[in-house]
Amino acid sequence: MDKLKKLEILSDAAKYDVSCSSSGSNRKNKKDGLGNTSTAGICHSWSDDGRCISLLKILLTNYCVYDCVYCVNRSSNDLPRAIFTPEEVVDLTINFYKRNYIEGLFLSSAVFKSPDYTMELILKVVKTLREKENFNGYIHTKTIPGADDLLVEEVGRYVDRMSVNIELPSENGLKLLAPKKTKKDILKPMGFIHNNILQTKEDKKIFKATPNFVPAGQTTQMIVGATEDNDLNILNLSESLYKTLNLKRVYYSAFIPVSTNPKLPVINSPPLVRENRIYQADWLLRFYNFEAKELLDERNPNFDLELDPKCNWALRNIHLFPVEINKADYKTLLRVPGIGVRSAKRIISARNFTTLDFFDLKKLGIVLKRAQHFITCKGKYFGFNDINPEIIRSQIITPYKNGKDTRQISMFDNVSFEDKWMEIGGEI
Amino acid sequence: MISYIYDGSFDGLLTSIYEAFYAKEKPTDIIREEDFRENFLVEKGYIKTDSEKARKVYSAIENKISPESLRRVFYAYLSELPDSGMIILRYLQVGFKIGSDVDLNLANEDVLNMDKISRLVGKERHRITGILRFKKIKEEILYARVEPDHNIIALVAPHFKERLKGENFIIHDTKREIGVFYNKKEWIVKDIERLDPFLVKDSEEIYEDLWRTYFKAISIQTKTNPKLQKRNMPMRYWKYLTEKNI
Ligand code: SF4
Repeated sequence: MDKLKKLEILSDAAKYDVSCSSSGSNRKNKKDGLGNTSTAGICHSWSDDGRCISLLKILLTNYCVYDCVYCVNRSSNDLPRAIFTPEEVVDLTINFYKRNYIEGLFLSSAVFKSPDYTMELILKVVKTLREKENFNGYIHTKTIPGADDLLVEEVGRYVDRMSVNIELPSENGLKLLAPKKTKKDILKPMGFIHNNILQTKEDKKIFKATPNFVPAGQTTQMIVGATEDNDLNILNLSESLYKTLNLKRVYYSAFIPVSTNPKLPVINSPPLVRENRIYQADWLLRFYNFEAKELLDERNPNFDLELDPKCNWALRNIHLFPVEINKADYKTLLRVPGIGVRSAKRIISARNFTTLDFFDLKKLGIVLKRAQHFITCKGKYFGFNDINPEIIRSQIITPYKNGKDTRQISMFDNVSFEDKWMEIGGEI
Repeated sequence: MISYIYDGSFDGLLTSIYEAFYAKEKPTDIIREEDFRENFLVEKGYIKTDSEKARKVYSAIENKISPESLRRVFYAYLSELPDSGMIILRYLQVGFKIGSDVDLNLANEDVLNMDKISRLVGKERHRITGILRFKKIKEEILYARVEPDHNIIALVAPHFKERLKGENFIIHDTKREIGVFYNKKEWIVKDIERLDPFLVKDSEEIYEDLWRTYFKAISIQTKTNPKLQKRNMPMRYWKYLTEKNI
């Protein structure tokens, strides 16, 4: 099979992995070497679905010994299969990189022959890139659940980022849809990577020459809408992953029906709005000091599809508002709907020189559509006569048409899914 | 009303700033010679570039305001926008009063305008590091064409030099007819008036086909969203984009 055909098959198979980020690492180029990394990451293109392309994201192979129901690569599925040789992957990476198509490689794989066998092939790729080709661009690899710890550790010495995809956010989901995988299979390597990262940090304090281990940290991905799990389950899981395993990112992927297996839900289109809401909530956890339990609870375990999670929280806590723009501290500003990280910083900085009024805020580029209902400037309130959650809600919702996901996802449209969170407009 | 007209160089701009600070009648415009349009209401003040005066302004900005401020002024200059001269002048007037904290004073219109214009250039610099495409041409040279809004090829040169240490490369700004040339050791910016024919001829490349194949396959069809794509990657940049030229 020629390279073109293989590439077509194996990038097509990788496209459901949401992550394409090249951030978090500041690897330097070496003498006679090729490439380096940029801490903030760089997008090189945007595909027709509008997602950022930063890395060459491919599977080593889509031949799989497993048969996970939700996955296109499941062994029972009839589709064209291919396998790259490690040399081919190396060659593509180097030549794409030189032409500035990519920041580096994101290599993943289905399970070919056995987890260890597959992991060894991945190791061969990353080792050749780093040692033989002196390549210092970005490398992200998946670990194959069930692969030997030693292999995982060795791969980790060469790459910038590693990920194990959780995919299904609960044990029940796994039992139903991926019966050969257990929670342990997935969490064990995550814990192992985490411990190695910590250990390497400690060692580096004593021996500066300690080799790196996954310097850009680990990430994971979950499918939204393939199981019964509600948003609260998902968000709680993410929160604990951030807290206990120090994950850099959790990615979410709206379930796209890839088979008609009766175990899978019947849906017409992927739940994009729901995915979007979960992303917003995830942002609130990581950059806005929110906790999952503030955003959802047992009585309201799912997000309001018409309203972003921050507005939703604010309306339920209307007694905390309005806040005075000239007095509120950074943390409080961040909790105002419509004011994001960048806006809050600009307000704080401009306040040092003058007392801000409503028009100053406009000049600063702060979007007031939502914020105006929750703030005062010099004591003056710009929303409606009195602060009434019902009325405010009716002003700021995005109507969610009869159970159908609309395409009008406004707020996250400008997210490239690159880690450059400042560019998210930051303004949730 | 007097318009300062300078030769388009950074030194020329800084000389204009110098003159403006000491002049009794302040200019209403500071403009590059090539952007100047005759207008019978305005008096023309031709500024003769003086590297000594320019140097004084340069170090005054750096020392009395901040190196960051100097960076902003330089970026604003590279924007090549017609109002950049006056934005810089007004910003510096505030800057010399406030000192190193000037950039925090975003409620001030002049500071805000500087913030916007330098950010615009910084944003394009970043964008071009991503969407510039090299192709291999004769004798192992990587060659890229770009047509940026602002004059940023010298800003991206260090980035590519660091990455592609061991390669020869040319970054050709076809709008301004200049290019960055790097020879595995150092880079310079030179005028490119006439292109060698081998540069113009698009060499066919297997890797370009592979890249286009990849580009197509990686998109999720059920989520196609051309509006989002264009917002992130405006169409004016597609001209030299390998994946958009089939
Ligand atoms: S092991 Fe991975 S690639 Fe194989 S079927 Fe399961 S999810 Fe798909």
